Amino acid sequence: MKRKPDLPRHGQNTQPEAERTSQSAGKHTEGTEPRRPGRRRASARFFLRLALKNLSRYRRRTAVTATAIAMGVAAFVAMDSLLVGFGNEGERNLANYEVGSAAIAAPGYWDDRDRFPLDNPVERPEEFLAELDNAGIPAAPRTSFRGEVIVRYDPYPEDGSSPATFHGIDPERDPAVFNFDEAIVEGRFPVPGEDEILISKWLAERLGAEVGFPLTLTTRTRDGYRQLMDLDIVGLYQTSNPTVDRSHLFLPLETADEDLEMRGAVTTIHLRLPEQVPGTADLGPVEQLLRETGRFAGLRENGNGGGDQDAATTEDPVTLLSFGQMTQEFAEFMELEHAGSDLILFLLAIIAVVGISNTMLMAVLEREHEIGMMRAMGVHKREITRLFSYEAAVIGLIGALGGIVLASIVNWFLVTNGVNFGQFLEGTEMDLRFDGILYGVWNYGTMVTAAIFAAVLAGVVALIPTRRILRRKVADSLRHG
Amino acid sequence: MISIQDVHKEYIDGETHVHALRGVSMEIEQGEFLSIAGPSGSGKTTLLNIIGCIDTADSGDVEVDGERLSSRTFKELVEIRRNKIGFVFQNFNLIPVLTAYENVAMALSLLGLPEEEIRERTMSILGEVGLEGMEHRRPAKLSGGQQQRVAVARSLVKEPRIVLADEPTANLDSVTGEAILKLMKDMNRSHGTTFVFSTHDQMVMDYADRLCRLHDGLVESDERQVAHQTV
Repeated sequence: MKRKPDLPRHGQNTQPEAERTSQSAGKHTEGTEPRRPGRRRASARFFLRLALKNLSRYRRRTAVTATAIAMGVAAFVAMDSLLVGFGNEGERNLANYEVGSAAIAAPGYWDDRDRFPLDNPVERPEEFLAELDNAGIPAAPRTSFRGEVIVRYDPYPEDGSSPATFHGIDPERDPAVFNFDEAIVEGRFPVPGEDEILISKWLAERLGAEVGFPLTLTTRTRDGYRQLMDLDIVGLYQTSNPTVDRSHLFLPLETADEDLEMRGAVTTIHLRLPEQVPGTADLGPVEQLLRETGRFAGLRENGNGGGDQDAATTEDPVTLLSFGQMTQEFAEFMELEHAGSDLILFLLAIIAVVGISNTMLMAVLEREHEIGMMRAMGVHKREITRLFSYEAAVIGLIGALGGIVLASIVNWFLVTNGVNFGQFLEGTEMDLRFDGILYGVWNYGTMVTAAIFAAVLAGVVALIPTRRILRRKVADSLRHG
Repeated sequence: MISIQDVHKEYIDGETHVHALRGVSMEIEQGEFLSIAGPSGSGKTTLLNIIGCIDTADSGDVEVDGERLSSRTFKELVEIRRNKIGFVFQNFNLIPVLTAYENVAMALSLLGLPEEEIRERTMSILGEVGLEGMEHRRPAKLSGGQQQRVAVARSLVKEPRIVLADEPTANLDSVTGEAILKLMKDMNRSHGTTFVFSTHDQMVMDYADRLCRLHDGLVESDERQVAHQTV
């Protein structure tokens, strides 16, 4: 370092005071040295280095806090994985066993769906089927109705009846849209025109039914007359969709058409479109196809069964139902589930906040004297705030990264083996679209989001105790401890 | 370069109203080695804090290096401390997780200097205070005297106009304390930096070129003296 030039001895300053004062005043009008470019960056780098070193001062406390954060992050990621898995599984089961990718129905039919009406069907479905075949779009006509299953003692263990949902299906077309042919566990799939029926293994066990047993169903025809149908059980199926397994039975469409006096009409025509995720297919080509038939009443709008003004004038109009419209209840149910998980996430965040703020409060209070020293050296309040925020954010990041590692281990198990909720779901009346074993999914976006959220939250939470100390005067802080 | 005119300062300590300074006036020239002495409660630390811009006077005028402190904003006072004032504390006040080098370099990092310049100046000042070869030691591995040398180096590395030392030898044995005083005296001579001490240690008073005694917040005496000379 250069040696300073010799100064006048004490009391021997020869410069007139007025000149000295005005010189000084002119030089330091702002009271500061000129700021060097990059000063803020350099000081930020210094405080980040200091923050990292400070973490070694409270190893045990840091470890405990980081562990708590890690467990919170892992729990959130695992929960999200199961929730997304539940949603994906539900949508797959809806598409594969209930609605397909989209459906053609008469205007107003879907709003009355719970009643499964037969008096508002799709007339002359063969017109649409021919066009869909030409376009290479798999389509399955169905006549769905409500009725009651009746069984009698011998061969059944006892007399009984049970309300159920029945679907008249085209055995040749249905497998192209739905997966019931792959779900047969005993017997066979129905064949066209026969008086036979396919029931679920779940229902068969409860009724005491076997392949070959007779089964009677009662219902009302399209014209409202009571009808009794005697059918033979030809097959048992088992899907991953308990909603279907518990109450849906399948018989040949021709049989349903004759006994229900449908006169060739069907309640719906379900479609299978190319898509990776259910509900994401482009409906444009189907819309266009339907318009060309001259019977398209538009897309179903707000439950009114068709928004097109031409519906009233078109003969036997139809509407196109999207996957989202047909699965709205499930979507609403998932929203409730997400709200529940958001609440749990909020509680986890509270726990993390309390942990971090406690750790930082202790760190700040223990270092008040040091803070006073730093302020005396010319460290701004914002720089001290930044220092503690960096420390807290690093703790949060360590915890978050630990949480990701832990979450990955847990999630690997969830994705590979799933969690069996079967015993908890036994006897439940809820319409859950999964068979009890829930598999997780890899959701890297959630992992990254959780990690960033934990680090940012930790950094923000540190502001509270830091600001409290910075309100004290420098002299008071220096006196502390 | 430091002008103090009729400065008053009161503060509340618990339920007690303390009138720490009751109209202190003095002028301190550049390059002086001044000791402010007095018993506990005489106001010497308060006066030092006001000169050092870490406390403000209730009334009166304080000018430091031409800057009238009462007209400065809080941020401007911070900048004055950052650039122009060095501190040496009784308890050394080194950051325990930083090495001797890092504690000293911190003062230059705050100024945003390039790393090379920081390294050059830090190593130079550490050499001047006799700590060459100890740059990588943390405070826990240094003796009290060595820690105070680091503190002195930290206060001087940024070439401040003033160094304020609040009882710098209070936690040192007499031999070590004298060594520190000699060091600061040498620094005063070689750098021309003004040193202002607050002390009730006779040894510190003997080293000062000028001794100002405070009592009950007032200047009792203010005399130049023949200071203890360093070899």
